[in-house]
Amino acid sequence: MSPAAVKVDRLEKTLGKNKVLRGISLEAGSGEIFGLLGPNGAGKTTTLRIICTLLAPDAGSVQVLGFDTRTEPEDVRRRVGVVTADIGVYPRLSARENITYFAELSGVLDGELDRRVDAVLDRLDMVSFANQRAESLSSGQKQKVAIARAIVHDPAVLMFDEPTSNLDVLASREIRNFMVESRDRGKCVIFSTHVLHDAERLCDRVTILHEGCVVATGSTAEVRGAHRDLEDAFLELVEK
Amino acid sequence: MKTLAIVFRKEIREILRDRRTLFAIGLAALATPTVLVVISQVSTKTATQTYTVGYTGEIPTGLGILLSATALKLEPVADPATAAKQQVDIGIAFEPAQIDEWYDPTRQSAQIADTRLQTVLGQYDAAKAAAALQQRGIDPGLLNPLPVKLHPLSSPVKAAGNAFLSFFLPYILITMVLTGGLSAALDASAGERERKTLESLLLTPTPRSRILLGKILAVSVISLVSAIAAIGSMLLALSQIPLLGTHVSLSPLAAIVMVWLAILLAGTFSSVTLALGTLAKNFRQGQAYSTPLYFITIFPASIILFIPDFNPNLAYYLIPILNAVLVLRDAIVRNSVAWPALGITSASLIATGLICWFAALRLFTRETLLIKS
Repeated sequence: MSPAAVKVDRLEKTLGKNKVLRGISLEAGSGEIFGLLGPNGAGKTTTLRIICTLLAPDAGSVQVLGFDTRTEPEDVRRRVGVVTADIGVYPRLSARENITYFAELSGVLDGELDRRVDAVLDRLDMVSFANQRAESLSSGQKQKVAIARAIVHDPAVLMFDEPTSNLDVLASREIRNFMVESRDRGKCVIFSTHVLHDAERLCDRVTILHEGCVVATGSTAEVRGAHRDLEDAFLELVEK
Repeated sequence: MKTLAIVFRKEIREILRDRRTLFAIGLAALATPTVLVVISQVSTKTATQTYTVGYTGEIPTGLGILLSATALKLEPVADPATAAKQQVDIGIAFEPAQIDEWYDPTRQSAQIADTRLQTVLGQYDAAKAAAALQQRGIDPGLLNPLPVKLHPLSSPVKAAGNAFLSFFLPYILITMVLTGGLSAALDASAGERERKTLESLLLTPTPRSRILLGKILAVSVISLVSAIAAIGSMLLALSQIPLLGTHVSLSPLAAIVMVWLAILLAGTFSSVTLALGTLAKNFRQGQAYSTPLYFITIFPASIILFIPDFNPNLAYYLIPILNAVLVLRDAIVRNSVAWPALGITSASLIATGLICWFAALRLFTRETLLIKS
């Protein structure tokens, strides 16, 4: 593994009366797809939200490319892009305006703005609907807008939280291809999912969470071990 | 400042593409002139309308002509008391030495007819008494030993117009500043949660205080535009429609005070509505949270209606909204500004706006905002 782009150390978090994270640690490197796996409620989304500074940890620490999420949150956010299952976009803005807005807020310089937005539209094959209002786009097209706004500032760390859960087969495949492409460009890709089949195909390394604890971590092959697939390995770990 | 401008520009662009907000502004511009036309027509109709007086007995000489000239139509009835309940506006019985009158005070037409009748009878009595004195060679001026000669310092008609404006204009200003920006405020706060764009927005490196300030500025501008559209159309309508026998107009001083107060109110209301919108999970819940604001804001404006001569001490000018109503009323009625009152009012509204902005920021930065989304 390359040097850790994201380093999570003994993270703890309680939301309301529910202790969601119980001292988890993990590391994800640049140029790899890192799978954060586990059933619903395992703590995957909370972990991602802490990594991208939306939530503050109760204990433990997170470093992104050497920046601490507690003390340097804005530096962290400049280097992180997040794609979630909730493909919320501004319906009365066009696809291009949605992306431009996030590029501007992420600090893309005026001289770079058009070039960056055009590049991202081109890369995600969005040129044909770039000037259409978001309210008239299909789910797949909206998901592309969501990806575009997350990557327009060219972040070194990309996090995908159940990105395909609301999408059809074709749109899901495009997302998977995009993750592979990003890894090949040297990005650190963190893929949070409960669909283990997807994880097995895409991830270089995985960490399995269960009830706020890490129950397994390592390369995909290591975690699968002697089992037929990752799902069997996962079920055995969870049932222990 | 740049990120503030980015948020502001995006919010304005979205608002201007939102039919709800445009509809609210358009309605504000059209509603006030419509209301004024209705008021003008009703008041003209009331002034010129003929009311019916049911009577029994013999009409005293000359009184019939006076009543007819005052748009009171005499109609013989069998029983004036019964007729006054529904058939006619008032009933009277001419007796040899007195007049009996029956009227229902709950009927507005009866009240107006009664006032007219009392005026006519007063004039009739005075004329009869003067004629009787003159017949006896006595100066009728004896009946009015201390005649009053009025020297109004300003036009009574204009004063009546100003009194109307002093209630109507603060009411329109406050209502429109609140309602004009409400939809935009809820869309910019609760709408972000409902559309699920909030998380992405908070993931940008832009400080949340600047995001919020950009939203407040955008909502304030829309509130101002809405209020100015409503008041502009109202003043335009007043310049065309005679009301209370005159064309009511706003003095330049009152106009400046009004714009200044509108700016302060817009900032305060925007912060309040954004804070309430941030508490809400969706647009509809935000509307429910905002409903009490209507009552809170309309109540101070109503004080001027019920207590027109309400002249409180300076401490009252610390109360937000009420202070704006009082300052604006003074500027309209007296065409002058009491600077200490305006100073306290400005400080109070700015402080209220800052407190609300701080509350909105606290709400906007709490973790539960995301967890409950």
